[in-house]
Amino acid sequence: MSLRQLLLRLPRYLGVSGSPRRLWWSSSLDTISSVGSWRGQSSRSPAHWNQVVSEAEKIVGYPTSFMSLRCLLSDELSNIAMQVRKLVGTQHPLLTTARGLVHDSRHNLQLRGLVVLLISKAAGPSSMNTSCQNYDMVSGIYSCQRSLAEITELIHTALLVHRGIVNLNELQSSDGLLKDMQFGNKIAILSGDFLLANACNGLALLQNTKVVELLASALMDLVQGVYHENSALAKENHITEDIGISTWKKQTFLSHGALLAKSCQAAMELAKHDADVQDMAFQYGKHMAMSHKINSDLQPFIKEKTSDSMAFNLNSAPVVLHQEFLGRDLWIKQIGEAQEKGRLDYAKLRETIKAGKGVTSAIDLCRYHGNKALEALESFPPSEARSALENIVFAVTRFS
Amino acid sequence: MTAGAPGSPERRAGARERRLAQTEGPAWSLPVLEPAAGRRAAPGSSGQARGRAPDVPRGRPGSAPSGASPGRSGKRRPAWGPSSSCAKFPAPGPGRRTAGPQAEPAPRRGFQTLTMASGGWPWRRCCSWRPAARSPGPGSPGRAGPPRTPSAADAGAQMSYFNLVKSLTSAFPHRYSMSRFHHTTLAVCCCSKTQSGEKYTDPFKLGWRHLNGLYEDIRKELLISTTELKEMSEYYFDGKGKAFRPVIVVLMARACNIHHNNSRDVQASQRSIALIAEMIHTASLVHDDVIDDASSRRGKHTVNKIWGEQKAVLAGDLILSAASIALARIGNTTVISILTQVIEDLVRGEFLQLGSKENENERFAHYLEKTFKKTASLIANSCKAVSVLGCPDPVVHEIAYQYGKNVGIAFQLIDDVLDFTSCSDQMGKPTSADLKLGLATGPVLFACQQFPEMNAMIMRRFSLPGDVDRARQYVLQSDGVQQTTYLAQRYCHEAVREISKLRPSPEREALIQLSEIVLTRDK
Repeated sequence: MSLRQLLLRLPRYLGVSGSPRRLWWSSSLDTISSVGSWRGQSSRSPAHWNQVVSEAEKIVGYPTSFMSLRCLLSDELSNIAMQVRKLVGTQHPLLTTARGLVHDSRHNLQLRGLVVLLISKAAGPSSMNTSCQNYDMVSGIYSCQRSLAEITELIHTALLVHRGIVNLNELQSSDGLLKDMQFGNKIAILSGDFLLANACNGLALLQNTKVVELLASALMDLVQGVYHENSALAKENHITEDIGISTWKKQTFLSHGALLAKSCQAAMELAKHDADVQDMAFQYGKHMAMSHKINSDLQPFIKEKTSDSMAFNLNSAPVVLHQEFLGRDLWIKQIGEAQEKGRLDYAKLRETIKAGKGVTSAIDLCRYHGNKALEALESFPPSEARSALENIVFAVTRFS
Repeated sequence: MTAGAPGSPERRAGARERRLAQTEGPAWSLPVLEPAAGRRAAPGSSGQARGRAPDVPRGRPGSAPSGASPGRSGKRRPAWGPSSSCAKFPAPGPGRRTAGPQAEPAPRRGFQTLTMASGGWPWRRCCSWRPAARSPGPGSPGRAGPPRTPSAADAGAQMSYFNLVKSLTSAFPHRYSMSRFHHTTLAVCCCSKTQSGEKYTDPFKLGWRHLNGLYEDIRKELLISTTELKEMSEYYFDGKGKAFRPVIVVLMARACNIHHNNSRDVQASQRSIALIAEMIHTASLVHDDVIDDASSRRGKHTVNKIWGEQKAVLAGDLILSAASIALARIGNTTVISILTQVIEDLVRGEFLQLGSKENENERFAHYLEKTFKKTASLIANSCKAVSVLGCPDPVVHEIAYQYGKNVGIAFQLIDDVLDFTSCSDQMGKPTSADLKLGLATGPVLFACQQFPEMNAMIMRRFSLPGDVDRARQYVLQSDGVQQTTYLAQRYCHEAVREISKLRPSPEREALIQLSEIVLTRDK
């Protein structure tokens, strides 16, 4: 039973099939769903991407089934499900997050976990320490590494839930009842905390203090990254802060790269690989995540058919790069020109950006990170698992 | 929780011995379960007739079996001797009043001494509290139940947990028995001095000797580049909190170290636990305040009111992650597991708080379990963690855990009492807060025994207009506040009993004193 299947039990109550409503937070949630998860992939060259993933899943043994029975059997989870049920009909973002998890489960994308498992398998058992532990290896992956993959997904999902908390004083009358939102917040906090507590528990069971420290610091990075993203979304007048691409990279590493990078490193630590191997795993995780993120940022600008009015994130790589080429003043002018009565005409702005150099340099940046990730992989012996990791990089760096 | 079943005294004694021998129980289990004799001896008062067999001995001192150890029988005796209660009990129930004539002078004297020694009523009256002017509880008649058939004795074996707790805490003899117990046991461990009023160094002062720079160090753990996020995370580490947890933790660390090898130092890792305990506590406060939509704490606005809910939740996560990093750096996997348990308990406690039980008995067990998970687990497990770091003996770990658990539960029980008796200026947060959140805490549950009409209010979580005020009135009219305080006292006595097993040290005495401070605090 995967985490997503599990969380699915909540939204079964939610009327998942209901037509997607455009809600006031929709722009921010679009950002969350395409930026904050791996879901953006499914819409792009689906055949190729799904093929890469499903082949990779075969390599790691059984389909990535995270989240163990102890979680499934817990009272809390059924409690959450009961409580979420009460949210149906309200407009709390938690519902959308839950729907997103459902959506993902259809594609069975738990890419962070999958990458951790693949890199564990690619690295294999350590040559330094062959004496013990091999007994609990399944498909070339230690059971503790499987737990780690699960923990990585738990932390990611917890933050996904926590970032969807609504600020009560910013509610408008159209957003439904205050008490619904309060209740939704309550459930969102509790379910996120529940997932985090399970992650902590799993970490403690790994009995490795270095791994605990790595994952705890990944959580800290992730929180800071989410904070930056959330505060970037909150800006008025569509004027984003002039952060520049180097700050953008730092923040994106925090919000997207750190968890995967540190989990990959921790997977090596669990197999007692030395510092060099750990560093290579870290580099792969980091650069793959960066390249993946830039890829999803690019989607609105390279897709053949884009529904014109569709909003895109003004803090995405192509926009930030565009801004940097243009200079702050010109960018503010362009934003102003694309606005009409306070509403931003995304179609118009998109064309403006496409005419500049932002998109091509974002593609370059994506490929740069992809190559870095491939370089890091070279230190691992050739194997099915390594090829799968390479294919993931190829899939996210292909633009045609 | 079924314990202390009626039946023959022997049987009861046996049951108790079994329970005493049992080290593992529900985490929130009562310290020492007394047979409910004191209660039973007072027919007619609310809730006690239930489950009583007609042929149950009335619990005279003489009828107590002699099988138990002297200390135990000394403790038990008054429980059989039903009550000289009305003389001392400020708000004796009608039932107890009828039992009054059977009173024996000896227990009464003992009680008086002890009462004086411990400085009278353990809670301070303030603002709105008024001595419970008891109208005879309307609950009484309904509870009395029909005469029992002999088989009722067996039925009584499953006597309701609630009644048991109530009987433990409400009957006057009980207080005597506890105090008496305190004397007999503790005299051996030379800590009866605390009873006689002799003061040691203020535990907080003693603790702070090892906590200098606590908040600076916590802020150092929060390595955050973003100004606003850092400000939010540091918001409660302003040095204005009570630092109750860190103080207990360092005192426990010293007490264990001295017990183990007479070491006078606090290890760096043990001090880290104090930091981590405070951080985990603060992280949970930040999340709780969002969940409860609280607007003030410690006399200032809550994080969620200043920065909004979204950021507040992230700040809570951030503090938790910083605590986890600090924890991992200690480098001890056992300690990591111990404190991870706390995080899990905190979440489970919060879930328990969401739900409520229809059944009265379950409700009380539910309340105590929640209290353990939300408050006591952190104190218990951080005490255990420092003991693990300071001493290899598992017996000491258990003592530390039990001390923390019992003090923690008492702490929360008093907190729940203060929600009724204190005024908001003192608490730094609004009072009757629990009622407004729909929570039925100890005083309410006890009051509900006297005023069954509160049941409906509890079930609808005080959601109708006027419910909160009415419930508050009921609680203040009942002896719910006293009974909760007694229950807290019991937990504290148990904590003292546990900690007294350690070798004497100033820190051990400070921990004993701290348990009294827990009972007498007014904010």
